[in-house]
Amino acid sequence: MRIEEGKAVSPSKSPTMADGVERMDNESIKPEKMFTLKKWNAVAMWSWDVECDTCAICRVQVMDACLRCQAESKRDFYGKQDCVVVWGECNHSFHYCCMSLWVKQNNRCPLCQQEWSIQRMGK
Amino acid sequence: MSLKPRTVDFNATWTLLQETIHGVITLAHVPRPVWNDRFSDVYSLCVAHPEPMADRLYAETKLYLTNHVAKLLNEVLEGGDAHLVKNYFKYWTDYSIGARYLHSLYLYLNQQHIKTQKLSDAEIIYGGSDTAGEQMEIGELALEIWRSGMISPLGYKLVKLLLEAIDEDRLYHTTTLPIDAVKGTILSFVEVQTYKKKGQLQLYQELFEEPFLNSSGEHFKRDAARLLESKDVSLYMEKVIAKIDEELFRARKFLHPSSLPKITQRCETHMVAEHLLFLYSECKNMVQGERKQDLSNMYNLLKSVPNAMSVLVETVLDHIKSQGLVAVNNLQGESVHIHFVENLLEVYKKYRQLIQEVYKGDQNFMGALDKACSSVINYRPSDGRSPSRSPELLAKYCDTLLKKSTKGISESEVDEKLSQSIIIFKYIDDKDIFQKFYSRMLAKRLIHQQTQSMDAEEAMINRLKQACGYEFTNKLHRMFTDMSLSGDLNNRFSTFLKNDSIDLGITFNIHVLQAGAWPFGQSNVTSFALPQQLERSVQMFESFYHKRFNGRKLTWLHHLCQAELRLGYLKKPYLITMQTFQMAILLMFETTNSLTCGEIRDTLQLNNEQIQRYANSLVECKFLLADTEELSSNTSLRLNTEYSNKRTRFRITAAVQKETPQEVEHTMNSVEEDRKLYLQAAIVRIMKSRKVLKHNALIQEVCAQSKVSFAPSIPMIKKCIEALIDKQYIERTPHSSEEYSYVA
Ligand SMILES: [Zn+2]
Ligand SMILES: [Zn+2]
Ligand SMILES: [Zn+2]
Repeated sequence: MRIEEGKAVSPSKSPTMADGVERMDNESIKPEKMFTLKKWNAVAMWSWDVECDTCAICRVQVMDACLRCQAESKRDFYGKQDCVVVWGECNHSFHYCCMSLWVKQNNRCPLCQQEWSIQRMGK
Repeated sequence: MSLKPRTVDFNATWTLLQETIHGVITLAHVPRPVWNDRFSDVYSLCVAHPEPMADRLYAETKLYLTNHVAKLLNEVLEGGDAHLVKNYFKYWTDYSIGARYLHSLYLYLNQQHIKTQKLSDAEIIYGGSDTAGEQMEIGELALEIWRSGMISPLGYKLVKLLLEAIDEDRLYHTTTLPIDAVKGTILSFVEVQTYKKKGQLQLYQELFEEPFLNSSGEHFKRDAARLLESKDVSLYMEKVIAKIDEELFRARKFLHPSSLPKITQRCETHMVAEHLLFLYSECKNMVQGERKQDLSNMYNLLKSVPNAMSVLVETVLDHIKSQGLVAVNNLQGESVHIHFVENLLEVYKKYRQLIQEVYKGDQNFMGALDKACSSVINYRPSDGRSPSRSPELLAKYCDTLLKKSTKGISESEVDEKLSQSIIIFKYIDDKDIFQKFYSRMLAKRLIHQQTQSMDAEEAMINRLKQACGYEFTNKLHRMFTDMSLSGDLNNRFSTFLKNDSIDLGITFNIHVLQAGAWPFGQSNVTSFALPQQLERSVQMFESFYHKRFNGRKLTWLHHLCQAELRLGYLKKPYLITMQTFQMAILLMFETTNSLTCGEIRDTLQLNNEQIQRYANSLVECKFLLADTEELSSNTSLRLNTEYSNKRTRFRITAAVQKETPQEVEHTMNSVEEDRKLYLQAAIVRIMKSRKVLKHNALIQEVCAQSKVSFAPSIPMIKKCIEALIDKQYIERTPHSSEEYSYVA
């Protein structure tokens, strides 16, 4: 497997390589590239795409479970998937748990006082 | 014989009866028919017509016995002091047996006449009524007459002779008087009272035991003084233990069993409790020399004296502590962590064993072992200014065992060692620091596929969970979850690529980690100009991922990514596993012969420290040649086209994966930050549920909550309270500055 985007070896820049052993032995094979990337084991980290890391209602980082879920030790082995983030039309974000309790008292965003309506939910 | 009541001639009957009584009480031969006739006579007198003669019979019998005992007393006295005990014992033996027979002969009188008069047991025990003047059963009456007629006048003299006999036995281990006479006489003081419902031992205790204990006490004092002359604690203890054994043996030979603990206690008082300082004087030497026999003796002796053990316990504690510190002091080299843990375990096991053996597993000593281990393990070098290294070293020890390694160590051995490591873990105060290091190392094992066995990993986490609770291992569990979720994600991504007929040109594999659960903060993420070869993979995966999940963003952790690169420019092809940064540097030489470190840094947008580290690793592996010894921005690097190695497939990641001192430092610093957050969260949690709380109560609750993970300092908690007041999470109540309320 070769990298399609990979540049071909430039003979002028590495003349010795152009006469590589393999190529001499087997003319039918394409010229051996200097470097061929075979495999990449990548590592990435996901987090909620939020403007502010902290939930203004419970004052806990949104990547962690909300205070209520933490206090109740509701965390299972699948982390805090139950305790997701919700974004309003105003683009402010909170724990879903926190916001669903908040709107029962006051249907406005606690940060900008706009009427609260859900733009999207974390998943 | 008729059972019908009839008139009886008392005098005639009594004369016959008296003759038989004499035979019975002196154990002379009484023919069966005579016995039967007298037995009937007792009945006849009791039911005599017109008046029963039971009371008269009782009075005559009592008088007879009284006279009989008076006669015996004379005979005993006539034998002289030398034979006093022997004679007393002889008459007592006969009399006490005879009294039992007599009791049987008077069966009818006892059961029909006296029992009905007698008070119930309960009345005797609780009523406290006076039983004098009451009629007694004949067997009891006989004993009571012996007590008043024989023991009362003779007791003092007897006891003096008995004590002399015991002293003689102490001196010569033999007595002039026969042993059974001495013992029998002593026990007669108990036996003569056995019919009593309570206070059976009273006569024995007052008449004999008290003088005996007092004279023994004097003897022990003299003996202790004599033994102390040798000034040898070890010898003294041996002698005292032998003395106690000997006295117990003697007590069993002569005394009532109830006296055994009392004599031991007297001995311990005068020979141990009164000479504690003498015993203590050798304590330290014995403990340091680990003289097991001496220590065992010391333990056994001190055990009897209230509060005397603490000096020995403290000495043992100090000794274990200093042995522990010696075992882990000045460790050097690559395997410090292994020596640290295994040396400590050795010390722990050695002294645990010693405590079992010498101190019979006594809780005081187990407690001392715990305290000693805890202070060694949490020892902070340079007068407490440096943190304890135990959390880091223990985590590293576990890492070494859980990592794939070439060392020939069996799975069960690894399991055993890991389970032993929990012994050390339990003593660590800063368990949160251990958790930090452990999670960093676990993360690296998982991501770099260096885990020896997932079973072993999970078993270890479960051990930690058992020791510290779910909170403690929660994040570690989340890491495992991410691993399995990532496997699933990779499968779905391949399907996605196949369905859209996309060929990335490489084998692509990814771990997607949940931020917060893994010990890689955003601070580890640096800028990096992605090599063109990787761009498509990143783009495709991101678009796949964002289709699957809402509201998430991905941060690529390039410093953790690894690539497998085939080198085609050498005499034979090589397949090298390397870090992405190493690969990116190498790839730059595809178009150029030589580059300076500065050029590479600018192109890849890495920082100086990274260039130093990664370029240097390539120079060390000889893939690159540098024109200066030390790398600087101006150092020119070129590809080593003469590179050769017997192996054609290997990894060069190890050098850059090692925990750097900066990382260790960073880990320690992040602990401070995490503790503050942990405490703040705890305060908010407590205040939210309690609404209003006094300062001290709040501090107490916070300490209780954080105990499983670390011991917070009070100033730190105070700082966190101040910080939360600043951020308006809580406020001081208007009426007191020592009280807080939650700001909703
Ligand atoms: Zn919240
Ligand atoms: Zn929640
Ligand atoms: Zn808003």
